[in-house]
Amino acid sequence: MYHTLRVCSNSGAYEAIPDPPRNLDLVRVRHALEREGIAVVDARVMLIAGLDPEVTISRNGKLLFKTRDPAEAERAFERVKALLADADGTARGPSGPG
Amino acid sequence: MARGVMLMSGGIDSPVALHYLLRQEHEVVAVHMDNRPFTDDSPLEKVVDHLALLRERYHQPIPLYLVPHGSTQVTLMRNTDRHVGCVLCRRFMWRSAERVAEREGASFLATGEALGQVASQTLSNMRSATSSVRLPIVRPLIGFDKSEIEAVAKSIGTYGISTRPGVCCQAVPDKPATRSNLVQILREEERVDVDQIVEDCLRRATIL
Repeated sequence: MYHTLRVCSNSGAYEAIPDPPRNLDLVRVRHALEREGIAVVDARVMLIAGLDPEVTISRNGKLLFKTRDPAEAERAFERVKALLADADGTARGPSGPG
Repeated sequence: MARGVMLMSGGIDSPVALHYLLRQEHEVVAVHMDNRPFTDDSPLEKVVDHLALLRERYHQPIPLYLVPHGSTQVTLMRNTDRHVGCVLCRRFMWRSAERVAEREGASFLATGEALGQVASQTLSNMRSATSSVRLPIVRPLIGFDKSEIEAVAKSIGTYGISTRPGVCCQAVPDKPATRSNLVQILREEERVDVDQIVEDCLRRATIL
């Protein structure tokens, strides 16, 4: 879904754009973040997750990592991808064998 | 000369507008609306550096009010039409600036806006945004084009500060309204407690 991180237009952060575009259920994402003890600002059309670095998660799936350090951005990217997958799993419900 | 309150964003335009006011020997109090967490620390850092440079050049103290604005953005995003979010945001910025002006005994407000530069700076949006305040608004750059503003910014030394890396405001909608209707704006504003929001922001403001 996400290919890579790139520097944003003002060079102050890294961003990841989903391909193809998607429509995130931000309520589920917020719950997934909160289950991990991560503070969240919920602005309805986007969430701001208090990770290190801070991450903006937009409803259209765009992610913005507020750091200029590529290694930091990459670490946060991997964590957010896992959290989004967790939120997706919650949306589908528990899956059993068979 | 008069005493005014200038909105400072950290961008290219506002320090140039401030330069013109200071050159005419107006006394200026600066206000920065702090958009975190919708930005990073860079806009504030840029404003602090702009002011340090202009204070030294014009030998004026230029106090800086730092007014929290992120919580206002959250309230607007949760309760109002995103399409007109920039106009609503500006109305709250102007209200805060006017409250600072009352506190500081200032008689005008000022901004680095130039007509038509960005989506929020159309004539109808400016009218919608500024109808929230009563004090006169001075726009030293209103007829300038971007290249003229950049040339002045380079000559006074603020351009390099303004163009340092930073995070754009994440609260800007994908398709901001370029023409706004004041009736619609007022209707949207009824969805939030305007006085409470402004009061809360001013209570948490700090002077740097």
